[in-house]
Amino acid sequence: MLVQDPYSVLKLAALIIGGVLTVVGALCDLIGAIGLLRFPNYFVRLHAATVATIGGAVYPLFGVAIMSLACDFLGVARWFISAISFLTAIIITLTAPTGSHAVARAAHKAGVPVHPKACDLLEEDRKRGVVK
Amino acid sequence: MGSTTLSKLGKIIVLTAFFFLIYVIASASITLLDVVVGLAASSVVAVLVAEILVKSPPSKLIDLRRWGWYILYALHYFTVIEWRAHIDVIRRILHPKMPINPGIVRVPYHVVTDYATVLIANSITNTPGTVVVEVDESRKYYYVHWIDVISTKEEICYEKISKTFEKYAKRIFD
Repeated sequence: MLVQDPYSVLKLAALIIGGVLTVVGALCDLIGAIGLLRFPNYFVRLHAATVATIGGAVYPLFGVAIMSLACDFLGVARWFISAISFLTAIIITLTAPTGSHAVARAAHKAGVPVHPKACDLLEEDRKRGVVK
Repeated sequence: MGSTTLSKLGKIIVLTAFFFLIYVIASASITLLDVVVGLAASSVVAVLVAEILVKSPPSKLIDLRRWGWYILYALHYFTVIEWRAHIDVIRRILHPKMPINPGIVRVPYHVVTDYATVLIANSITNTPGTVVVEVDESRKYYYVHWIDVISTKEEICYEKISKTFEKYAKRIFD
């Protein structure tokens, strides 16, 4: 392909990077789902869920934000799409762990089994009475 | 004008600017109507939430060096740390033998402000492989569920899990 001007090189790069991020995000979602099925207990499954939220939602949104900037046929709408995708990605990054903290803490307090485990220092400290 | 009034006013002004920035980014256009409506809405919201949202002095919010560290942290976090953790957990998921060794370990932290504590906890949870289950604020410990417990020693856990985050969090918020 013959490259006419530096602007089109930038656009091509944005399309490729955005596309790669989006495809990787789809793969992360699939692998996160497989992990949810394979992992043995609740707490380990949370790790697979993290793969699906950050890898499968935040990175594709960044990809869409980059990609839409290069799509001229969208007209003015491409700025809206890019800005909203970027903001949504940041908001997910801030709020997803908060939910994870809440459910993990609630599950441990409610006595959801941590087995198989190498150690559970939180349970030991709860029994000793240093953590409420 | 007392210093408390001044700091309250500073909080409101900084928050208004911040909300207005988000408004402009989200609406992706600057016309006269956008500016007027955006300023009005963001100043009303800022007055309502200033005392709840901002606990530290507002001068920290306009410190450019802190923002620089924050942007550097975001770049480092999203390009290197996240990918490394993702690849590690993806390998564990797809490996036929599923090599996991999970457990809950204690990780100490040394930051002072609530913001830095939350930043470190969020960063730990957002990297696959580690989830914060409980925070003990009086003894300054996170209880972290770790997918591959190498050691239960506090120094090694700190080194492996939260050292990088804490280095940045101290520079951004403390």
